[in-house]
Amino acid sequence: MSNDFYTTSIFPHAGMIIKICRAYTDTQEDFEDYYQEVCLQIWRSREQFRGESKWSTWIYRLSLNICLTLIKKKKNNRQHTNSNHLPIEAVDENHSFTDESLNLLYDAIRQLSEIDRAVILLYLEEKPYEIIADIIGTSPNNIAVRITRIKERLKKRLDGKVN
Amino acid sequence: MERSIERIWKEGFLESDALVAPKLNNLYTRKSIHIIDKFTRMFKINLKAIVVFSFVVLVASFFAKIPVLGVLMFILFNTIVIVNRKLLKGLKEIDKNVSSYQYLKDFDNWMKEQILTNVKMSRFIYPYIFLAMLAGFWFSSSFQETLDEVLGSHQIYFLKGIPVFWVLGILLITGVLAYFGGALYKLDLKIVYGRVLKKLDEIIADMDELKAE
Repeated sequence: MSNDFYTTSIFPHAGMIIKICRAYTDTQEDFEDYYQEVCLQIWRSREQFRGESKWSTWIYRLSLNICLTLIKKKKNNRQHTNSNHLPIEAVDENHSFTDESLNLLYDAIRQLSEIDRAVILLYLEEKPYEIIADIIGTSPNNIAVRITRIKERLKKRLDGKVN
Repeated sequence: MERSIERIWKEGFLESDALVAPKLNNLYTRKSIHIIDKFTRMFKINLKAIVVFSFVVLVASFFAKIPVLGVLMFILFNTIVIVNRKLLKGLKEIDKNVSSYQYLKDFDNWMKEQILTNVKMSRFIYPYIFLAMLAGFWFSSSFQETLDEVLGSHQIYFLKGIPVFWVLGILLITGVLAYFGGALYKLDLKIVYGRVLKKLDEIIADMDELKAE
């Protein structure tokens, strides 16, 4: 990949890629692998961009699809659970933000199913329901129903922990 | 009062260190960890190895005076290569630039097709190898001498000109190999890609549920 392509076409959207990759990884090592892989796949697939959507939407779609089918380097210690508390071994200090509330929100998002994570990330990025539905591959009505449920679940998990 | 998740999200990313991109190290030469790339790599390496091996077996069989075995194995190996090259083409055509549902379905369909094809082939491959070895040795003059030495004065039981016990033994082994051939391939696949395939199934099930809501 040329540095130019990364600097001009990917880097301006790095924030978006970072947010997605963080939601699908539990450790800093996995996160860095995912980030690099998404950048690599964007570069490799760049000729598939037909201009039917915005470049940023295209990157979003591609990043999600890549993260959904990536192979983690090693087994994570995290045991996914429905409980409100994450197992202690899941904490990776390097994989945290300085904002504690954001860390708690991310931890709660990581406990959602892979698809629910994608839906809520798009919602939090203020994408319209039509765009979310188009990226995921369902109808805006279904997305609206799902978002309400996810928000309730997240609220429950964060209840009393953030202020 | 508690903040909404929307506010936590917005305010959390105002921190300057929240969105620091990791350094890209040798990205161009990096070995991709994406499942499609991994499959493509695995397929290409396997196919090249099979082609080379088929020629080695063919040449070696003439030196070992078992050319029938060599030719039969050469045909088998190159058939495997041709079939899997077609599968590889389908894998390369999977478009990442579609909705998540479509993308996962396309990949899942490809996986199912390749598993089905390879399971079917495995049911024939193992018995074929066994029978090819049998035929190869049977038509080899040096093996005939060895067989005569091993059997010594033992007389093979024939019924209406058919060596019944030998035929039954061969049929039994062929049947067992045919039965376990597909299972062996599935087991191999499960060990290497089990986790990813399970994840794929779960995501698609979740997607189907979302579509049905």
